[in-house]
Amino acid sequence: MFLVAGLVALPSSADAARIKGRFEGFRALQNPVWAEAKDPKNHGYSFREPVPTVRAEFRRPFPHIPKELCIAAIAAGPQKAQPPVLIRVGGGRTTPVTLVVTPGTRLTFQNTDPFKHKLYGVGIKTFAAGDTGPGATRDWSVPGAGVFEIRDEAAPSLRMWIVSEPNVAQAAYPSMKGEFSLNIQEPGDYVLQAYFAGKKVGPATPVTVAAADVELKGPIKVNDSSAAADAKASDSESKEGAK
Amino acid sequence: MVLSRFWYVLLGLFLGLSVFLLSIATSMYNRAGARAMGEALSSDSQVVAWYLRDDARQRSGRLIQFGVDPDIAKYLQKSTDSEAKVPDEARDKLLAALKKVNNTIPRDEQFDAVFAVDQAGRVVAHLGYEQASGLSDFELGGYPVVADALRGYVRDDTLILDRIYRVVARPVEYDMGSLPAGAIIGARIVDDRFARELSSRTGAAIAFYANGDRASSGAPEGFAVGNLDQIVGDMASLEQDPEYKDKGRSKVRTIGGMLGVQYSRLPGEAWQLGGGFAVARLPVSVDGLFGFFKTADDKDKQQAKLPVAILVAVIAAAIGIVFSVFEHTRPIAIFKNEAHRLAKGETDQLQPSRFRGVFRKIASDLNDGMDQVLAKGGGPRRGPADMKQVLGNIPDQPQMSAFSFPGDPSSMPQPSSGQAAPRSVPQAPGNPKLPRPPVRPGSPGVSLDTTLSSEDSSVARRLPTPPSRGDGAAAELAEWHAVFQDFVSLKQQCGENTDGFSYEKFEQTLKKKNEELLTRHGAKRVKFSVYVKEGKAALKASPIMD
Repeated sequence: MFLVAGLVALPSSADAARIKGRFEGFRALQNPVWAEAKDPKNHGYSFREPVPTVRAEFRRPFPHIPKELCIAAIAAGPQKAQPPVLIRVGGGRTTPVTLVVTPGTRLTFQNTDPFKHKLYGVGIKTFAAGDTGPGATRDWSVPGAGVFEIRDEAAPSLRMWIVSEPNVAQAAYPSMKGEFSLNIQEPGDYVLQAYFAGKKVGPATPVTVAAADVELKGPIKVNDSSAAADAKASDSESKEGAK
Repeated sequence: MVLSRFWYVLLGLFLGLSVFLLSIATSMYNRAGARAMGEALSSDSQVVAWYLRDDARQRSGRLIQFGVDPDIAKYLQKSTDSEAKVPDEARDKLLAALKKVNNTIPRDEQFDAVFAVDQAGRVVAHLGYEQASGLSDFELGGYPVVADALRGYVRDDTLILDRIYRVVARPVEYDMGSLPAGAIIGARIVDDRFARELSSRTGAAIAFYANGDRASSGAPEGFAVGNLDQIVGDMASLEQDPEYKDKGRSKVRTIGGMLGVQYSRLPGEAWQLGGGFAVARLPVSVDGLFGFFKTADDKDKQQAKLPVAILVAVIAAAIGIVFSVFEHTRPIAIFKNEAHRLAKGETDQLQPSRFRGVFRKIASDLNDGMDQVLAKGGGPRRGPADMKQVLGNIPDQPQMSAFSFPGDPSSMPQPSSGQAAPRSVPQAPGNPKLPRPPVRPGSPGVSLDTTLSSEDSSVARRLPTPPSRGDGAAAELAEWHAVFQDFVSLKQQCGENTDGFSYEKFEQTLKKKNEELLTRHGAKRVKFSVYVKEGKAALKASPIMD
């Protein structure tokens, strides 16, 4: 279930051990772009109405977790720079939306849309706005530790977060059901941390990796209280709209 | 001429007032036209916005036809269930289903492009968007409009991709107890066809713009679409319009002093990308004072009160003509007739009482002038020269002679001296009360005195009225009586004593002098007149030759 395994070149070997786990509560997360877009003050639509036949619990701006929720295995010490990562730009977003890498990792942005994009890094001098034509690519190396946001002048909905963490050993993305699997090359102690929209979500889960695969005993709950409250509000809004 | 001049002044004021009012009317009309244009633009802007929303709503209803198609729902669910890769079967079946449903929609209500998107946001099949043909990983799931549809909302959006698209999306459900299988998205390209259609339905000239450039435009008949190109230059300063920035609709702006434009942002992502539409109108205005003639149409001309205008013009002209006839033509005609009568000898003088205004003064002056000439014995005759008068029968003594009356110590006047000018009865300063000579019935003086005004009579009384030829002795006696009266009056005015001065004595002297002069000069008659010489009344005798 490594959805982005073909896109993000992660280190692996035959001796690698897997950490398997599951997220819970991810539908309480809110994609910030979609949450903003539904606000009438932002003039994102002239009408927006719920379809009554769709259950209220689904009528929330929850994220598409295979692209937006990243699980990273953080080692005790710094890790070497990862191989280049290919990031697709198309459909109003990037794939993945949230990326966790080590500093210095080279990122390649590839435009998969039939029209140009104009990516830029928010507050990043080394990533100024520039055109990327259909099928074209643009490279950028993560300059250091921190969180970097990438946007597109041609598509306001496109927002990407790059979390640069020196100790990150591996990162993966869950399936739509929330299941994930991480390939760990080196045995040792790790901490599993979920990232969403450039921020940590859910608890840090310590894991010790030996030769065998590790199955997490319980799910990682990524819904925080504020997100849950927002989800409730969204539910009631949806119900009122359905009436 | 007072009335005529008053009328001219009145007409001048009226003309000036008309020009002034016309200027005000032009200004008011243009201002009202600009205001109406602003209101019309605001209305146009609202109508276009409503149309866009209403059109999106109606078209979202068309999406239901796709949503309820069993194949579309089924194969979208299959694609959603296959996270790794979109099944080829799903692509083929969905494309066929899209085509089938799309063909059931009336042509003018069809979308330019339709997309079937699974829950992962991947485009499983699409119609009409050839740019994406062959792109196996083409997706739309990041756009809020698609994300909302995948989560159970129907809504619209305006996307600026390679072009401007009006987009509506709604979920496609396969299993009511789970997430929607996917979404169906319909898009209309905002091109010239769309703009023309919009223009024809709203009556507004409209241009869509994005990325600082005009994307499409349409205008009703009578409005040159090229005018809408001007918005490109104006858009640079558009972002500085606070109303446009905050509310998404600019104030009415005027480009090039003519074109009125109002800009509105398009709802959706285009709002943030600076995409919008502009409605434009040309102001209804008139150029200059006579611009109304060019602007007015047949209906306006029919409603104009032309008969009233003609009536006013006719009345004004009639009043002017009446005044000019009354004050100009008629007095001149009367004067002409009187002058003609005078020339024909039907009258001896002009009668000032028959004239008005300045003509009365002219007549009086002419009479005075003639009197002066007669008092001098007549002026040079105009016309062919009388040889007898020029060469022959030249008297030894001057024709003009004067004498003093017996008992008067003054000497005879010397005509050549020039010291004493013959004159008629002088006007007494202060109008002293003089004893009036006896009035003789039938005398010319009596006649004048009774027919003329006091002013004219005073003038007339100074004029000796010579008897016409052939009047004989009676006329001569009447004339002498008049001369006697004038002489007595003059003496009294000069302060001389008139006691014992009788007409009989006066007549004897005149007879004697008359015979003497007639004999000496062979004249036909002698005319006597009175004058003042050295402060005393004197009598002058003038022989009349013809």
